[in-house]
Amino acid sequence: MPTNILLSGVGGQGIITASKVLAEAALISGFHVKKSEVHGMSQRGGSVESHVRFSADGRVHSPLIPVGQTDILLAFELLEALRSIPTTAPEALVLVDDRRIVPMSVTSGPFEYPAAPLDQLAASGRRVHVVSSLTVANDLGEPRAANIVMLGAASRFLPIEPQAWTEAIRRAVRPKAVELNLRAFQEGIDTLRVE
Amino acid sequence: MATSTKTILSGNEAVARGAWEAGTTFGSGYPGTPSSEILPALTQLEGCYTEWSVNEKCALEAAAGASLAGARTLVTMKHVGLNVAADPFFTLSYVGVNGGLVIVSADDPAMHSSQNEQDSRNYARAAKVPMLEPSDSQEAKEFTRIAMQLSEQFDTPVLLRTMTRIAHSEGIVELGDRVEVRRECGPVRDPQKYVMIPAYARKRRALMRERTARLVEFAEQTDLNRAEPGSGDIGLITSSVAYEYAREAAPQACILKLGLTWPLPPEKIRQFAATVHKLYVIEELDPYLKEQVLALGVQVEDLPESLQIGELSPERVAAGLRGEDISPPTGDLAPRPPVLCPGCPHRGVFMTLKKLKAFVTGDIGCYTLGTLPPLSALDTCLCMGAGIGEAHGIDMACGESHKQVAVIGDSTFMHSGITGLVNIAYNGGSSVVVILDNGTTAMTGGQDHPGTGFTLSGRPGKQVDIPGLCRAAGIPNVTVVDPRDLDRLQATLQEAMDSDQAWVIIAQCGCVLKTREHNEPRVINEDLCIQCGLCLKIGCPAITTRTDVGTDKPQPVIDAGLCVGCGLCAQVCPKEAIGVADE
Repeated sequence: MPTNILLSGVGGQGIITASKVLAEAALISGFHVKKSEVHGMSQRGGSVESHVRFSADGRVHSPLIPVGQTDILLAFELLEALRSIPTTAPEALVLVDDRRIVPMSVTSGPFEYPAAPLDQLAASGRRVHVVSSLTVANDLGEPRAANIVMLGAASRFLPIEPQAWTEAIRRAVRPKAVELNLRAFQEGIDTLRVE
Repeated sequence: MATSTKTILSGNEAVARGAWEAGTTFGSGYPGTPSSEILPALTQLEGCYTEWSVNEKCALEAAAGASLAGARTLVTMKHVGLNVAADPFFTLSYVGVNGGLVIVSADDPAMHSSQNEQDSRNYARAAKVPMLEPSDSQEAKEFTRIAMQLSEQFDTPVLLRTMTRIAHSEGIVELGDRVEVRRECGPVRDPQKYVMIPAYARKRRALMRERTARLVEFAEQTDLNRAEPGSGDIGLITSSVAYEYAREAAPQACILKLGLTWPLPPEKIRQFAATVHKLYVIEELDPYLKEQVLALGVQVEDLPESLQIGELSPERVAAGLRGEDISPPTGDLAPRPPVLCPGCPHRGVFMTLKKLKAFVTGDIGCYTLGTLPPLSALDTCLCMGAGIGEAHGIDMACGESHKQVAVIGDSTFMHSGITGLVNIAYNGGSSVVVILDNGTTAMTGGQDHPGTGFTLSGRPGKQVDIPGLCRAAGIPNVTVVDPRDLDRLQATLQEAMDSDQAWVIIAQCGCVLKTREHNEPRVINEDLCIQCGLCLKIGCPAITTRTDVGTDKPQPVIDAGLCVGCGLCAQVCPKEAIGVADE
């Protein structure tokens, strides 16, 4: 049975890069991997979802995670976290950045941004942990590394060795940015204290 | 290289790799989601001439020439692009090839970024062109390689049909080496093969019939088509990514996986059907396979007809086998569709067109987003270049102006707007056409085109003089304006709309994703702001609202991280409350 990880958020948050690092780390670890997303919304502020599936025994078939079988949801924004909850398994782990990015349909439209998204997430019954990845990344001086901070936090729950993560990050980012991204990854690991 | 030859590739990257390994030396196409990444990936691999052609018809015609001259060629497009290339496509089936010719058509079930979800597989049957459908990235590579060989072996173009979940999914691919194809490159003189006058075409038609018979024999024994055993008495015939969903939804089923989906292998299908009690066909979009299986006299169970709409998934296939369908969860959360970027030059054009109460005909590009609220300023979008044609049709049918204005992007104009413009001039139309010249093919990822001055390989290319071209076509009035200068833009549009002559307005301002411009962000002076909400109506994602400041209506606020300082909001503010910080 594959491990199913869904990354969800808003275009521009580096979600596809994060899923690329995750998939690469899984490949290096010897897993069979597939991932899938819809391109193009990333630059236009739309919702972005990336499915990553990896398996130790046998091939991963569907590149899309079957609804209700997401084991780990990495949500980079609160509204998108709520949008993705129905796709998660009842016992799924949710790591969510407590960021609000208000969509046009709220700013200039009839919709409303959920009043208490963290409460709603808690009420879903999933195991929810808040990871303020943007805050951590800002402290490091590089807001664009928020996606890697989130991966660091997620790594605590994944059967992937540190060396695999390090190599995957090296392959994914520019050489000059490797040092900073490795630090961001470590901050992500440290920032999440599992109760 | 001592490192592993296994890597993660998207379907698109894998197609490029497969073409490269097969010794392809010519690649052409036009950007179209989800196919756009194939040609850039092929360009990176080197050893191949690649170009963005003006449109898919040009791309396929150029490839036909390259193939005639002996080169192995790859042509890439999305599903609606095949409509544009359909004219050469149908007759190439008669002509055949010299160097292999593989045409990739990438479908978009569920229309993630298209105007329809047509099923490209119908083209293969209609044109009698063999077609391969890979199910994942490894097959995307292998099938492209095999397609090139089949093309030369059977003297036929070959269609490689993918879609979003193949093209934009990534999986493990085992890399191979490149075959160097040593052949003389030069045009072959053989009019009976290449000149499709009726006398010659009739002979080629007879050859096509023989070719199809040989392809059917090939289909029966190739392991592109394979039966996978299972327990239980259910059999599934399937192809493409639907195979993966079927495998996941019904792990016990016997599966006949078809990799070559035109022509089909009748005996293999009949034999498979005989081994199972209940046979289903699992495919996305049209019942293309199902109808052909039924025509063989094989009994096929029905699935809910609604499964022919949109994408499949493992859970939808599982539900279908139970006789049900799953509607996608609607939910009442605020939607987050794509929007025009902060600073997008199209924004000012739509604001002004709306103010002038124009009926706006448009087509495919970032500017199609102008139809969404709050701009709500685009009234039609049919296909590439259609806005110009539709404005002209309204004009000539009604006999008087109804304030119709066509908008078209610069790349779309090159693709199929020029002919529509000539049509207006030639037939005496008086429409206004606004060419939204942002210097790129934006929506598909910022590719170059004949108006940008650069080609796919990054080398400088001849740049079309758009105003000159419009004048040469016979349009009496051609004006270039800056779409961020709202006063001048409005005055020009008003004059054009009032005129009884045809008019082209070129709204020229670079796409912010390409220019990466960063002017001083704007700031709203809350002492002067009366919360009238006019700035919110321009639909800029950098302007949001706060409700914590004790005003009756929400207080607009500009996100300095998103604002590129285009100044549009400052121009619409009636109280001059928007300016640069420290003003």
